[in-house]
Amino acid sequence: MTAMVEARGVTKGYGHITVLKGVDLVVAQGEVTCLIGPSGSGKSTFLRCINHLEKHDAGELRVEGELVGYRLRNGKLYEQSDKQICAERANIGMVFQRFNLFQHLTVLDNLTIGQMRVKGTKEEVAKQKARELLARVGLDAKEKNYPAQLSGGQQQRVAIARALAMEPRLMLFDEPTSALDPELVGEVLDVMRDLAKSGMTMIVVTHEMGFAREVANSVYFLDQGVIEESGPPADVLGNPRTERLRSFLSKVL
Amino acid sequence: MAMSTQEGGELEVVPVRHVGQWIGAFVVVVAIAMVVRTLFFSYIPTGLSTCVTTAGKQVCREQMKSRFPWQDVRDWFFSSEILHGVLLTLELTVIAMVIGIVLGVCVAIMRLSSNRLLSGPAWVYTWFFRGTPVYVQLFFWFNVGLLYPRFSLGLPFLPISFLSEPATIISGIYAAILGLGLNEAAYMAEIARAGIISVDEGQVEAATSLGMTKGQTLRLVVLPQAMRVIIPPTGNEVISMLKTTSLAASISVLELFGAAQNIYAGNYKIIGLIITASLWYLLMTTVLSIGQFYVERHFARGALRTQPKTPIQRLRQDFKTVRGYLGHAEVAS
Repeated sequence: MTAMVEARGVTKGYGHITVLKGVDLVVAQGEVTCLIGPSGSGKSTFLRCINHLEKHDAGELRVEGELVGYRLRNGKLYEQSDKQICAERANIGMVFQRFNLFQHLTVLDNLTIGQMRVKGTKEEVAKQKARELLARVGLDAKEKNYPAQLSGGQQQRVAIARALAMEPRLMLFDEPTSALDPELVGEVLDVMRDLAKSGMTMIVVTHEMGFAREVANSVYFLDQGVIEESGPPADVLGNPRTERLRSFLSKVL
Repeated sequence: MAMSTQEGGELEVVPVRHVGQWIGAFVVVVAIAMVVRTLFFSYIPTGLSTCVTTAGKQVCREQMKSRFPWQDVRDWFFSSEILHGVLLTLELTVIAMVIGIVLGVCVAIMRLSSNRLLSGPAWVYTWFFRGTPVYVQLFFWFNVGLLYPRFSLGLPFLPISFLSEPATIISGIYAAILGLGLNEAAYMAEIARAGIISVDEGQVEAATSLGMTKGQTLRLVVLPQAMRVIIPPTGNEVISMLKTTSLAASISVLELFGAAQNIYAGNYKIIGLIITASLWYLLMTTVLSIGQFYVERHFARGALRTQPKTPIQRLRQDFKTVRGYLGHAEVAS
């Protein structure tokens, strides 16, 4: 079976700064992978390369066996058109640190706009799907509210539902609980835990070591654009081999 | 007012006297009284006199009239010439604003493009039209026939033409629409650009991650949110445009002020017609201001936790509060 995500020597820089210095990573179908590491280590940049929000400079990055942003035909790499890239993105859900819900739309419209405008789903079907997902994250009573009227935790749950409405095969989480008050973190992690149980392939950039230990199949520790350690959470978090990971864990735990 | 002291005695409190405020208030009241008197209770001689002969003696009295010609205003306010002018003013305002907004948004989007061939010309456009007076631009468009005696439509650099008309089709009204619209686009471009920039980058990322194209992101996510920032200054632009259309009077367009000028050129009731036009402008800008409130309120949805109340809602709330008090009073008694 082809891996959901496969990275080989992925590099990325902005001007003179190299953010990713050759990242190797494999995520199998249905697996939960957590990326941990100090801020500025390149975790978010790598995540954004996977759905082409950022363009990587070199290396191989494949999603479901296909190169991100390129198609191989007759021994040549053809750069994909904007339209093709957009179509690929619709299959990858993304949840942001600052929720990024559409402020001018109600909760329900936030969930239907992508289905209707990108996938061409009929309004009634899209609404039906949206209501099911809102019930799943426990917010079916809030469908008529605007994002600004919800708490941070509720907004993030809506954001997860919005991503799920596109029926993605892969979900990317970019520090989904970092902008939340401590007492609201739990409700978001609960939703993510349920999602993992349902078999969704997830890549999660997080500082929640408890979540990583409990839910993740594998944990990758990134530092200065390089994967320093990787493996099952019990090994990586419970028995760090490098000094860098040890000092990082001592700071976050 | 009195205040009790520790000793149990009561001492009188002398408040501070704001002498300056009293003098200021007095000056303002006198000024208001002067304005009211000169507007409504001041009379000047007409130059005519009426003579009455009583008991063989002729007594002549000079005829007086109100200083401000309110009767002229009454006579002309609803005259068909003025009403036509009002209609033309509104038409010019609407058409010029539509051109200004559509073109302005296009220029703003071009200006924000990473392609220099788009952003450069957009900058030049704003630079040129903002840098020359709109009055001068109007005269240019009015006289554009001197440059291009024939107006034709065809393929560039090829001897193919679908339409060819004498440039006299650019009459005063078209020159006004063109001049006002093109000039407005430069200002609207800056307003739209400010609005687009004000939308959080995260909104674009979220739309992109859902698979929306750049165009969809702009249309469905960015512009609707930019509206909240774009609407208030655009309302000002509409009001400003309504008044600026009066410049078209100088290129023989009979909009409100042109119509007024046309009338007083015949009957010399200059002040009366200027006041008539001014009152109409005031009336229209007032209506626009009220409309602006409701439009702003509509586009603010989602940005605030609670919608601001309309004046009518506020009145109704006050009414309820009062009724609540009365109800309590009844229960208490």
